[in-house]
Amino acid sequence: MAVIQEVARARSIGRERRKGDGKAAAVFLAPWFAGLVLITAFPLLASLYLSFTDYSLLAAPNWVGVENYTAMFSDPRFYQALKVTFLYVFISVPLQLAAALALAMVLDKGLRGLAFYRSVYYLPSLLGGSVAIAILWRQVFGADGLVNQVLAFFGVEGYGWVSHPDYALGTLMVLNVWTFGAPMVIFLAGLRQIPAMYYEAASIDGAGRWRQFRNITLPLLTPIVFFNLVLQLIGAFQTFTQAFIVSGGTGGPVDSTLFYTLYLYEKGFGSYQMGYASAMAWFLLLIIAGMTAVNFLASKFWVFYDD
Amino acid sequence: MRVTSNRRTARRSRRSVALVALTASGALALSACSGDSGAMPEGDGGDGDDVNIRFAWWGSDDRHKSTQELIDLFEEKNPGITVTPDYTDWGGYWDKLATTVAGGDTPDVMTQEERFISDYATRGVIADMSQLDIDTAEISDEILATGTIDDKLYGIATGVNAYSLVADPQVFADAGVEVPDDTAWTWEDYVKVAGEVSKGAGDGVWGTQDYGFNEAGLSVMARQKGETLYNADGTLGVSEETVAAFFQLSLDLMANDGQPDASRTVEIQNAGPEGSLLGTNKGAMGVWWTNQLGALSESSGRELELLRMPGESQFDRTGMYFKPAMYYSVSATTEHPEESAKFVDFLLNDPEAAAIMLTDRGLPSNLTVRESILGDLADADQRMAEFMADLEDEIVDSPPVPPNGSGDVQDIITRINTEVLFGDSTPQEAAKAFISEVEAATAG
Repeated sequence: MAVIQEVARARSIGRERRKGDGKAAAVFLAPWFAGLVLITAFPLLASLYLSFTDYSLLAAPNWVGVENYTAMFSDPRFYQALKVTFLYVFISVPLQLAAALALAMVLDKGLRGLAFYRSVYYLPSLLGGSVAIAILWRQVFGADGLVNQVLAFFGVEGYGWVSHPDYALGTLMVLNVWTFGAPMVIFLAGLRQIPAMYYEAASIDGAGRWRQFRNITLPLLTPIVFFNLVLQLIGAFQTFTQAFIVSGGTGGPVDSTLFYTLYLYEKGFGSYQMGYASAMAWFLLLIIAGMTAVNFLASKFWVFYDD
Repeated sequence: MRVTSNRRTARRSRRSVALVALTASGALALSACSGDSGAMPEGDGGDGDDVNIRFAWWGSDDRHKSTQELIDLFEEKNPGITVTPDYTDWGGYWDKLATTVAGGDTPDVMTQEERFISDYATRGVIADMSQLDIDTAEISDEILATGTIDDKLYGIATGVNAYSLVADPQVFADAGVEVPDDTAWTWEDYVKVAGEVSKGAGDGVWGTQDYGFNEAGLSVMARQKGETLYNADGTLGVSEETVAAFFQLSLDLMANDGQPDASRTVEIQNAGPEGSLLGTNKGAMGVWWTNQLGALSESSGRELELLRMPGESQFDRTGMYFKPAMYYSVSATTEHPEESAKFVDFLLNDPEAAAIMLTDRGLPSNLTVRESILGDLADADQRMAEFMADLEDEIVDSPPVPPNGSGDVQDIITRINTEVLFGDSTPQEAAKAFISEVEAATAG
């Protein structure tokens, strides 16, 4: 009985405290909430409005209805931008995740100095989106760059890879694959979660390495794969810096690296068609939301949750 | 019990993934593009004795330093007016300027450029400077015309440049080829000479660098043939035939090895003056603006020469022209038009200001001022000034101000020229595409 009263009092104190905390919490949250409204929500809604105007940045916007959207769907460069972006996403993201998983498996084998290797392989992820790396990339894949010097050693004459319309996008995909560090670290954490007893039991039953990977590692890792997939996909759709630097802001050669966001930027700040650019931004949001939704629906069939 | 809690965790983790994903997609996709819709003029400082104006310009560190000296000198000569510097590099300048205009915070005085001035003028961002108290007596009418749109003076040229051919006599000598006579050479001579240099100079050295990435070359060629890139009313004035001939020349130059292969050409193009064929001693010729002679000379370490463009004597008239290096413009919504005008007047006409600026914003458009600084110029700039003086009598007129949307033309011609170089379209197809795309871009 006394215990119950004690608990009841504790509860009521807790409730009171929670009430008091509510005000304090509101005060503390206010700056972030203001930030969310002013810096995220308001611009977001403003861009929705602007996407129905002829806004040029330099003069006040006029309402034009869905004109920007109809113009978008009859613009060949818009389709080129979609093509480049989808190619990039669907080729480089799976390759990047495969590389990340492979390396995580190797590092998980209990290497000495694991922390060191993990940091080393994580480094490209920190640098990958930077201007410096994009400039480096332009050098490495240039006509007299590192890649061609290595090829020349084997007697192969290479191209100026970043300036050839058939290969420029490929070099950017390689750059994305190279930044596998972030998903790798997450995979590594995921691998650590898999109880060793599963492997012990499997090896007693005579399962080989490949069998263990297919039937234990992969199924138990699917939530992590899914998480990485969703994040990398969203990130890849918004690739900008690398393409901007490597192509000198043009999306060239011959629009072969005209990423969606690059074209959006070109329209908004190059041609002063901010209304059109806003419409493109909203369409990109729809694409990404759609892709993510499909991902979640499909995940029911292949992602295995076992905690 | 265990089972349900497990499920709950699973569901929660799934939900948190969804939340992260959706927030990330929404925030990232949209936060990059937003803007304030209102354009509210806003003044700096009070209306008392001390007036503050803001001057926006683009440039390198050297220019930032010298412009600060200019501001100091102006403030010293005009007590009661202070000038706030607002500078950035070329790449960031236009994003920043457009954004400040959108935010209702247009700088009182700014530097403008040929391809963008019309966008700003027709949208009422910059003022008609003929209504302001700025002395333009020493600036020729032709130069003033380059900043005039619909009979209003929206920008006054700081100085002038000419699109011309830069040659490295050393490479010519190494190749055993004579530097051609630029008062007589044709476009065909140009192709031939480039081929000869490539042959004579050996591996890794070429006759010339591809010229097809800049519409200024097309403009010169069109003017030689009595056409014009843009008409005064903003429509295209160049024929399909001329555009095709322009692109054909690049193919001829690749065919006789006068210039490097396509992918190398694209790469060199992206490397600026420092990485150009002339800048790295790997080429005999290249087409550049005269104000780039200094940078080219410096990175090449050679004494480079300026030549007239090919074809100047081939047709009925010459095609070269003086292009305003940049303009000074004044905000249409400034609260201090008088002080802003005073500052522009100082920049254009004060000999002491010119002595600081020299040719950094082009060869000064004020002829008296230009005369006064000739003795102070470095070697390369001196040669540039002489070359420009020689051209003075040959140049027929100035092309009209490019129309709205002409800022896009650089991208269009770069893309189409690259297609031609890689053989993805013929010069005829390229000419058709160029004309229809430029018409679409400049229609709005």
